[in-house]
Formats: sequence, structure tokens, C-alpha cells
Amino acid sequence: MTTLDISSPGSVAAAGDAVLSFEGLSVTFKTEFGEVHAVKGIDLEVRPGEVVALVGESGSGKSVTSMTALGLLPSNARVSGTIRVGDKVVGGLDGRGLRNMRGNDVAMVFQEPMTALNPVLTIGDQLTEGLQLHGIAFGKQATARAAELLAMVGIPEPERRLKQYPHELSGGQRQRVVIAMAIACDPKVIIADEPTTALDVTVQADILDLLRSLKDKLDTGILLITHNMGVVADMADRVAVMLKGDLVETGTADQVLNHPRHEYTKRLLAAVPHLGSGPGQFGDVAPVVAAPEDLPALDLGNLVIEYRRLGKPTFRAVDDVSLSVAQGEIVGLVGESGSGKSTIAKCALGLIPAASGSVSILGNDFTRTRGKELKALRRRIGVVFQDPASSLNPRLPIGDVIAEPLVVHKEGDDKSRRRRVLELLDAVELPRSVYNRYPHELSGGQRQRVSIARALTLDPELLVADEPTSALDVSVQANVLKMFTALQERYKFACLFVSHDLAVIDLLAHRVVVLQNGKIVEQGPREEVLHHPREEYTQRLIAAAPVPEPLEQRRRREARHALLAKLGEDVAELRVEEDYERPRPRQDEGGNSSGLGGLLGAGGDGSS
Amino acid sequence: MLKFILRRIGVSALVLLGASMLMFFLTINSGDPLKDLNESNSPNRENLIEQRRALLRLDDSPWERYWDWLRGVGGCFTGNCDLGVNINGVDVLGLTQQAASSTLRLVTLATLLAIVVGVALGILTAIRQYSGFDYTVTFSAFLFFSLPVFWAATLLKEYAAIQYNNWMAVGQYAPWTIVIAATVAAFLLQAVLGGTRKRRLITAATVFAFVTVTLFVFNALDWWREPMFGAGGVLLVSAAAGVLVTALVAGLRNRRALYAALTTAVVGVIAYFALAPLLLAPSWPLLIGLFVVTLVVSVAIGAAWGGYARKQAMLVAGITGTITSLMVVADILISHWASFLSIKSRPISTIGSQTPNFTGEFWERTLDMGTQILLPTILLTLVSVASYSRYTRSSMLETMNQDYVRTARSKGLSEREVIVKHAFRNALIPITTIVAFDFAGLIGGAIITEQVFGWKGMGALFQDGLNAVDPAPVMAFFLVTGVAAVLMNLVADLAYAALDPRIRR
Amino acid sequence: MSDIRNSTPGGEDYEPQISATGTDAVGLAAGGSADPLPGEDKSYSQGQLVARRFFRHKAALTSMIVLGLIIVVAFTSIGTGPIPGWWPKDYTLQYDKIGDGAPTWAYPFGQDTGGKDYFALVMRGTQFSLIIAFSVGIISTIVGTLVGALAGFYRGWVESVLMRLTDVFIVIPLLVVAAVLGKTAAGWGIWGLALVLGLITWTGLARLVRGEVLSLRERDFVVAARAVGTSSWRIITRHVLPNSVGVIIVSATLAIAGAILLETALSYLGFGVQAPDTSLGTLIDEYQSAFATRPWLFWWPGLMILTIALCVNFIGDGLRDAFDPRQNRTKD
Repeated sequence: MTTLDISSPGSVAAAGDAVLSFEGLSVTFKTEFGEVHAVKGIDLEVRPGEVVALVGESGSGKSVTSMTALGLLPSNARVSGTIRVGDKVVGGLDGRGLRNMRGNDVAMVFQEPMTALNPVLTIGDQLTEGLQLHGIAFGKQATARAAELLAMVGIPEPERRLKQYPHELSGGQRQRVVIAMAIACDPKVIIADEPTTALDVTVQADILDLLRSLKDKLDTGILLITHNMGVVADMADRVAVMLKGDLVETGTADQVLNHPRHEYTKRLLAAVPHLGSGPGQFGDVAPVVAAPEDLPALDLGNLVIEYRRLGKPTFRAVDDVSLSVAQGEIVGLVGESGSGKSTIAKCALGLIPAASGSVSILGNDFTRTRGKELKALRRRIGVVFQDPASSLNPRLPIGDVIAEPLVVHKEGDDKSRRRRVLELLDAVELPRSVYNRYPHELSGGQRQRVSIARALTLDPELLVADEPTSALDVSVQANVLKMFTALQERYKFACLFVSHDLAVIDLLAHRVVVLQNGKIVEQGPREEVLHHPREEYTQRLIAAAPVPEPLEQRRRREARHALLAKLGEDVAELRVEEDYERPRPRQDEGGNSSGLGGLLGAGGDGSS
Repeated sequence: MLKFILRRIGVSALVLLGASMLMFFLTINSGDPLKDLNESNSPNRENLIEQRRALLRLDDSPWERYWDWLRGVGGCFTGNCDLGVNINGVDVLGLTQQAASSTLRLVTLATLLAIVVGVALGILTAIRQYSGFDYTVTFSAFLFFSLPVFWAATLLKEYAAIQYNNWMAVGQYAPWTIVIAATVAAFLLQAVLGGTRKRRLITAATVFAFVTVTLFVFNALDWWREPMFGAGGVLLVSAAAGVLVTALVAGLRNRRALYAALTTAVVGVIAYFALAPLLLAPSWPLLIGLFVVTLVVSVAIGAAWGGYARKQAMLVAGITGTITSLMVVADILISHWASFLSIKSRPISTIGSQTPNFTGEFWERTLDMGTQILLPTILLTLVSVASYSRYTRSSMLETMNQDYVRTARSKGLSEREVIVKHAFRNALIPITTIVAFDFAGLIGGAIITEQVFGWKGMGALFQDGLNAVDPAPVMAFFLVTGVAAVLMNLVADLAYAALDPRIRR
Repeated sequence: MSDIRNSTPGGEDYEPQISATGTDAVGLAAGGSADPLPGEDKSYSQGQLVARRFFRHKAALTSMIVLGLIIVVAFTSIGTGPIPGWWPKDYTLQYDKIGDGAPTWAYPFGQDTGGKDYFALVMRGTQFSLIIAFSVGIISTIVGTLVGALAGFYRGWVESVLMRLTDVFIVIPLLVVAAVLGKTAAGWGIWGLALVLGLITWTGLARLVRGEVLSLRERDFVVAARAVGTSSWRIITRHVLPNSVGVIIVSATLAIAGAILLETALSYLGFGVQAPDTSLGTLIDEYQSAFATRPWLFWWPGLMILTIALCVNFIGDGLRDAFDPRQNRTKD
């Protein structure tokens, strides 16, 4: 692994010359509800070897901006202003010119690596097609080059991987493949649209390391689109903040993150939960009042949950987990995808059976209760799910949604139910006018408030919250969390709070349970687990979570690299060999390897 | 995968068993098998009734009869099938074999045609969504969905057969017919090809001129009655097809594939000359053998030209080879048209699957079979095309929205590559299932088509059986459709696994 | 195996999400702790949104009007049951023939070979065909929804039994089982035929509903309802079925179109409507040999079937677009 000085080829512009620039960019969409002005005249540029972060919440127009650089907006979009990629003006290119530019001058890394890769084509096929299309390598050479690219992004056994399909790779590896595809033709600039949002935090740290080494070693400019301030602090040289189609603030990472000038930026930063600063950021959490002799609200003893699969061995999703939630206590359940945290939550709700072990709610064993008693037990548990889009029945007005548990348990009459609903709407800070509204008329944050209100309708002693804020924008998340702590203080419910976000757990939980592959790695008081972790896995998790402050994040990153080194692992980075040759299009053999060749399952590589 | 398939077969067998029981009891209870005899006043009525009672075993319990039928079917696995006898005492197995072969010929041909045309139309309409072409095809598809088959059949008989045969006696197009045909062709082609207004106008004008001139020239040559195509024509069309296939499959920039395609076309025509004597009076095995040789040779040509793009070149050459051999056959058939007309002056038939007492050589007989099968095939194809084109369209639109299509575009792939390589292959996955499901249903649906065109197939077997409350032929019909359904589901599963690596295990 | 579908694209925010109310960012910009109020002025319920999209589908709207006209004319012209109609001629009476019976002002659809008024005959056939089609549509929708919902919701052995039962009906070609049953039910009049056809045409809908229920039962709001202790019956009727209404209505429409064609086909084969009842199918069957001599006897009933089926199909298409604007049709 060597760092090469590769500034010699002519394709790299002199410093200062932007590789991507937007001047007065404006985008409008024609929709069935009229025209929508998505981007309202913004100026932005990305220079070689520079990471510019474009930050904003959903609907701010950041992704639309990036898609204009490739000329890939849907046909109902109208674009004005000038977009330059290198020395090319995107608006002035015809179809062929545009296609030539894509991949060659500007490449894209998408958010969701599973859907960004074609499920029916091999990795090799998808990598070589770009190479052959832009005339960089053909046939066996292209295959060799593809293997080299995979090796560069740190995928072991690249030759074998080339023959595999996307579903055979893990999420992180898929994103590495997407990055390999992006750097295949050595573009001047890479647009990374939320490249780590769909990934676990440790994988995210690796991918960010990889992207960082990319700009260092290949001098590529990167336009990083993200909503995650931690990622911004970790990666960005400069930051641009977007709000409703406007750029409200630009500056260096230090300027924007540490000395924000615009109100919106300030509020946005204030809304980011900060790992390590503990509770109190969005309102205090009440101390646990339960006496030790009180029955725990939830007690899991040696819980095992298995999924039986047709024609495959049984999958043990949860393996010998014991934990308990005292009355009035918030227990944070942390883990990466596949750790079994949502499975445990579902089991605590009595929705999936335990293969062995016990689940007891306030001393009643869930697994042994039936019929009426079971129903009576259920009313003592409330639940909030992650996805605000699917957690409310779209056919019921909000009033009915919240009153539904009362109807199910035949409590009160219409009048008292209505009173209760209005009371809850007040409690979750929603206007009473939403009583007759339908879910699709509400925003994500509002819907999540309704979910919480519904969970509290029956005044439960235990609330199971499965990633209740992870689908929300940060500012909305901050508001919901604030409200949540206030509610908990008022209603004193115990809570099993499932989340992948350590920072959120840090500001809510009394105790923390860390899960990995269905087993508990570490559990204890928040302070201990999150600030002085004993187990290696917890240390890694915490080290990998980025914080929204550039200097601190740099320190944390170095600490993480040190930790990895201590554990004897490599830091993810681009492996550029000594004899690495920057690809240059060859004009001698025009042609490309796609079409029905791929259709019939034949690779275009001609190697077999 | 194997375990999965075995499981599927097991379940299907159970389902078939249940369905056969249902069919059997429904059939024997659908009426009185002795009705016609009871009403007759022939002198030996009692005798006949007694005979039939014995033949249909009306005095045995239904369960016994069903069990015996089942045992007979079970015998098929050990090589001695027994499907029972029909109401006239004829062995049903023989009847079924005859009927099934003629029905399957009809249905298979129609399905193959419908897949090709339907999928192509579906892709085109998805690409040109909300264009005039899209609306036209959509409307036609709905029209064909809504068509009562027997009603359309009567129209087809009248206009595609009777009127055509009348016209064939003269064989000249009236000038206004030519103008209308050219206009329609011009409109359709410009709608399919699209582009700017100017480009569309040029396309339309070119097509109009070409069609008009061609048709007038054909008129002048009396081409319709004495058509000829010639080796030159074969070469021209095959080469053009080769270029088109290359453009679609590999892109014209891929010279190696292009040269492979052109070489294949030329070699094909040379082989045509060389083999001309053999082709004068061939047999089916010979033709099939020649076709296999053609395929091997074309793929070899592709491999020779291939280089870095060998697989594509082989594919292109293979397709071109197939097209070339089809063109050769077409040329031979066309050159026999005149002699065919002299044997059979009204070429398109409306009844039956073969002209009775037809005397002709191999190629004339082939033409006769073709003209017999033409109308029912058109009818069956139209309905299937309608549904396949709709399914393909929606499936394509669905995949065109997927993220990986955006990724493909962001690499700089052209629309053709995005559609053919990335979108279409994914869109094909649901279509396969639907086509397989449809095939079995189509055999059932062919009953009407067969009845209208007097085609002695499964439909007649079923209908006569049901009318006479005679279970053996009805059950034979069920057996064929049921087994076809199970087989096609299996094919669908396999195709699914072949197309979708996610479930290949 | 057939449960594997293409995953839907996630996180596509390059096309702005248009909700009737606005986005979350607005709340932040306004600085309030609560999210914005829904705008009072543009609030659409689900039903209104569907209606709005449906009425934009021109072909569906036109079809709706045409079908409505056909129904009204068919039932009022010659009257229904005891209620007399406004058309002066009776379908049972033989009138003096004008010429060879070709359409005239007095006999707009012409006269048949015996001099009967063909308009009255066709209207009567249309009545019967419509009655059968709609009854079949309703019956098969009820059965299909029930079977599909139970199978999809309860899973386990309920699902196995119901879906194998569905398979049994699917393995036998529809026309065949319809013919066998139609022949049996021929004696029971058109209602019997309608009942029998309804009881065998539900299979497609059952599969669709099952697929829909399978995906709905994993949705969070159903899981939440189960967690709170809601009974299965209440979950099915209040949470699951109302949300599958799109699939059900669209299929019901298409079932009606299918039933019209199936009935005419059966009648044509002689296994459907029997004299003295009549239908458009029997009319064609009866007069198809007259095509060369009296083409109108052939054209009118056929065009009538075609128009009705076409209208219903277009209405179904419009409904599909309205309920599912992304037009992702998945066939299970």
C-alpha cells in the first residue's frame, strides 16, 4: 500500500479549477398538484480532492441537485442554470455526449446498495460493462481490471466475487462494489448520495474511510449528500446547507459546524443527538423510582427465538437472552442489523413465540397466558414502530386510530373515548383539529406522534418502542424525543427502547443492553456501557459512531484506527498498487458488452 | 431446488387427484346418459339401453368406476395406459393422442407467436408510454380482451378467408387499397420509431412511398398469384436481420458481432444453393437436422469472429442463422405458392385441420397445413397477445422505475442497453410465470376456437363426451389439460430459477 | 417461490414527495415545537383522491357513461318483470316483415327471420347477460375475498387447505368446469347459472386477496393492532379488508367482464342459458348462419357484448390506475 503521486496525467485539473460546479441552478417539477420548485437558484462548486457536503433534510432538494449533474432527472423536471463537469457544460450536451460524460467524468454512489445493483447480473458483469462502454478495457482485460478494482476497495477474493450476484454479498460489500463501479473509469468527481445511510454504523465508518482515501489517493472531488451531521464532520472539507431548495449557508466544515451563522443551521445542529454528552440534551429523564422488590415491568429469562425455514436449518435469531426492565425504567436495546433487537421487541409484545425461555410482563408469564387473561395482559403494553408510513391504518381517521385500543378493550363510551383522545393529542402536542384527519395528510413526525398517542391510550405500564425516531429527520426526531422524555416523566411507563443509534440511546436510557448476532454482549447502566465500555464489540460500535464536530470527530477517528490496529485489523482504504495505471480510453476497439448477451446469463467478459 | 421441485410435484399430484375426482363426479351427474335412447323409438331400444348400461357400467357404484379409471391412468406409469372406452366403445387413448397432437400444435404455435409479438409490443408501449402508439395498442388490447371469440371467428372466416379467397382468384390490389395500406403502415412505423416531428414525417413519407411502389410493382408482376422471392431476397433480408439483431443485442459499434452476423447470412445463402436439390423434396427429420447444423455452424462463425466479445457474437450469429434458415424455408414455400394454388384454388380454409384428399408434394402439403392452421392461430394469438402485451408493459414500467436502472444510466449506458440488459431481464421474471399459467388455460379456451373452425381436437372430444354424459373422453381431456398445467407450472418454476439468481439454490 | 417480488425502490427523494400538507422541514423553519397544521384548504380523503384520479381517466369515464346508458336502455325499453317499458314492440310477437327485415326506423335493429323485432330481442338478451354478469361478479368477489382473506390472515393449515382447494379449481380449465356445471344447472334458470358461475370464478381474486393480505398483515398498523389484543375478526374487517379494497374492486370489475364473455361462450356451446331464457350468446348462436343473408342479426348482439365487455374492462383499468397510481400490478 503506497501513496502515489499521480498528478501527472492530464485528466486531473490544476488545483482551484472546479471539477463540478453549479451556477444559478434551478429545478422545477410539474406534478399533479401543480409546479414544485425543488431547487431555487443555487451556486456550488467541488474542486479536485475536495469533499463538499450538501446537507439538508428530506425535501430540501439536495438529491435533485446532484441528479442534475448527471442529467438524470425525470422528464417532468425543468432545469435552468449552468452545470459544469470538468470543462463540459451539462446542459449543452446531446444524448451521446451526456452518456459519454456519465461514468467517465462524473460517477454516482447511491444510498441503497441492494437496489442500486441489478439483482440478475453478476458483479463482474456490472463492473465490466462500464469499462467496455467507455473503451477502457475489453474481454479478459476488463475482467482483470474489474478484479483489480474490487481489490482496491478492499473486497477479499475479488476473482470469486466477480462471478457472484449482489444478493450473495453483505450490505457493506455491496456498497464497496458500488464504489468500485464509480471509480472504474476514474471520474473527476463522484457524487455520493447518502452513501452510508442504509448501513450499520461500523460498516459506515469503513465506507467513509474508503471514500476519504479515494479523494486522497486519486484526487477525486466528492460531492457528499447527507443528512447526518456526524458524517459531515467526519468527511467534509466544505459544507453547504440546503433548506427548501435554497442554499442557506456555505463554508468550511469548521465554520459551518462550529460557528453556524444561519438560524436554520444552528437549529439543525442543536437537534443532533450528541453521543457522549449523556441525557439532558432534549429534556431530563426521570430517575427510576421502582423499588428493587417491585416486579419488573418486563423480564426475559434465557430467551431463545428461532425461525424455521423451509429446506434450511433453523435460524436462531435470539440466543439465550436475559434482561429485565424495571418499572419506570428506560432500557436501550442497541445492536446492528441482524442482531435480533427487533425480534426481542416483537417477542416482548407476544407477537412471536419463544422457542424456550420465559417472557413475563409484571410477573405474568406471556408464554403461558391464554384467552381473556392474555388480552388483559396486552392492554398493559403499548407499542411504537419505526415506519410512520405504515404504522397507521390509512383508512381510519386519527381520532379512530387513537381510540381503537379503547374500543378493542370495550372501555368507556363514545364521549369518554373522545375525551381521552383529545387529552392524548394535547399530550403529544398535536392540534385537536387532526382528530378527523387521515394519516396521509400528516407529516412523518406528526404520524409518529399519533403512534405514540395510540400506544399510551390504555395507560400501559410498559412501552415497547422499536426504532421510533430513525425514519425521521433530525429536527423532527429532536422534537419527538423531547416530547417522549416529557411523556415518560408524566406517565412513568417503563420502556424497552430499541435503536441502532447510540446517541439517541445515550440521551434517553437508564440502562443499555448491547446485542450482537442474537446474543447479549454487554449490559449495564448507560453511563458504564456507553462511556466506559468493557467489551470489544461495544468499543467498536462506539468508536464507529461519528459526532457532529470536526475536530472531535478527527480525534475519535484516529482513536478508532488505533483500536482497529490494536485488534489487528486493517483500516479500510483504497489499495493503490505501485504499478497502478490510470485508465485511459482506448479508441482502437469500439464496442461494448451489453445487450442480450447479459440477458441470457452470459457474461460479456468472454472468459469462459 | 430439487427438494423444492419434488415437493411441488407431490402437491400438484394431490391437487390433480382432487380435481379429477371433482371432474368425474360432476360429469357423471351432469345428465342422463340414456336420454337419447329413452326417447328413441327404435325397435331394439331395450337392447341398446342394456348394451349402454353395460358399456358405461351404470350399475356399478360411481366410486368403483372412478377407482377403475384411476387405475387405468396409473397404468400409464408402467406403460399400459387405459383411459377407458367412450360411449360408442372406441378406445379413448387413441382418440386422445390424435386430438391432443392436433390441439397442441395449434396452441403451441399460437403461444409462441403471442409471446414474441406480445412481449415486443409490451416493451415498445412501455418505452413509448402515453404516446399515440401506446394508446392504439392499449385500446386494441382491450378490444381483443373483450371480443367474444366465436363472434370474432365468424368475422375472420368471412373477411380473412372467404373474401380473401375471392380476391385471390384475381390477385390484384385496387389502387385505393394500396393507398390505405401504405398510410396505415406509415402511421404505425412513425409512431413506433418516434423522434422529432421532422424525423417522424420523413419516416412516414419513406414508408408510404416504399409500400405504395412495392404493392404496385407486385400488382404489375401478378406477384400475389405467382410470387417469388429468390436467393437475392433471402440474402438481403437475412443480412438486414443480422444488422438489426446486432444493433439490438450488441450495438452496431461492436464490429465483431456485426461481421459475424453478416458472415452467417452469406454462408446461409451459399448453403441454400448447395443444398437446393436436397430441399426440393425433403422430410421433416432432414429439415430439423439441417436446422441443427445451421445453428452449430452459425455459432461457430460467431465464435471465430468473437474475440473479446465472443459470447455476444455467438448469440448474434445464432439468431441470424435461425432467421436465415427461416427465410430459406419462406423462399421455398413462396416459390411453391403458384403450384399450390393450382391444386387448391381457394387457399385459406375455414374448416378442419387438413384438406381432405389433398394431393401434393412435401412443400404443397406444408402450405396446405399452414393455410389450414392460419385462422385459428390468428384468433388464439390475438387474445394472448392482448394480455401478454399488457403484462409486459406494466412489468417493464415497474422495472424501469428501479434503482438499478438509474445506476445503469449513471454509468453512461445507452437507452437500448438499459432496456435490453437491465430492465427487460428483470421484467421477464414475472412474465414467465404468467405465460406458463396461461398455456394450460389456453388449451381449455381453445375449445371454442376448435368448435368454430371444425378442428377435430380436444375440444370436440370434450364436448361430445359431455353432451353424451360420457365420462371417459371428458376425463381424458381433463388429464391432458391438468398434466399440461402441472408441467407448465414446473417449467415456470425452472424458468424462474434460471432468470432469478436470488432463488437459484 | 412466487412470493419473491422485485423490491420497491426506497429512498427516492429526487422526486419531491408531494403531500397535501407539506414537509417536515417546514415545521423546523417555523421554529415551532409541533409540526405544521394540515392546510385546511386542500385536504383529500383517500376516497376523494381515488375518485379524482378515476375521473381523469377519460376512457374509463366514457365507458362508465356508455355502460350506464346500456343498462338503462336495456332495462327500461322492454321493461323488467311486471314493469312495462317504453318500447312499443314485444319480443314475443311476430310482426309483418318489412322487406327482408333489414334495420328501418320502425325496427332499428331489424327483424329476425320470423319477423320478431330484433331490438326487443337484443334488449332482452342484454338484460339477461347483464344480470348474469353482475351476479357472477358479486358472488365470485364475496367468495374470493373470503377465501383469500382467511388464507392470508390465518396462514398454517387454513391457508394450505384453502389454497389447495383454489388450485383444484385452477387446474380444471374454467370453461370446462363451467360447461359441466352449466349443463347441470341449466334447469335452474339464469339465477342457477349465475350462482354456479360465481362459485367457480373466484380463484383469481382469492389468490390476489391472499397476496395482499399476506403483505398487509406484516404492516406495522396490523402488528400494532395484534399487540393491543384486537380480535382476528376485527383485524380482518377493520384493518385488512378496507385496505385491500382497491384490489377487490378492480378484480370484481374484471370478473364482471370475464363473466359476460364466459356466459356467452357457454351459451354458444349450448351449456349455458337455455330456452325460453335468452342471452346475447344464444342470440349469436341462433343466428350465426344468417351472417351471409341477414348480417344485422349477427352484428347487433356481438357488438353489444363487445361494448359491454370493453366498457367494463376500461372501467377496471381506470379503477386500477386510481387505486394504485404507481400501477404496479403484481400477479401472484
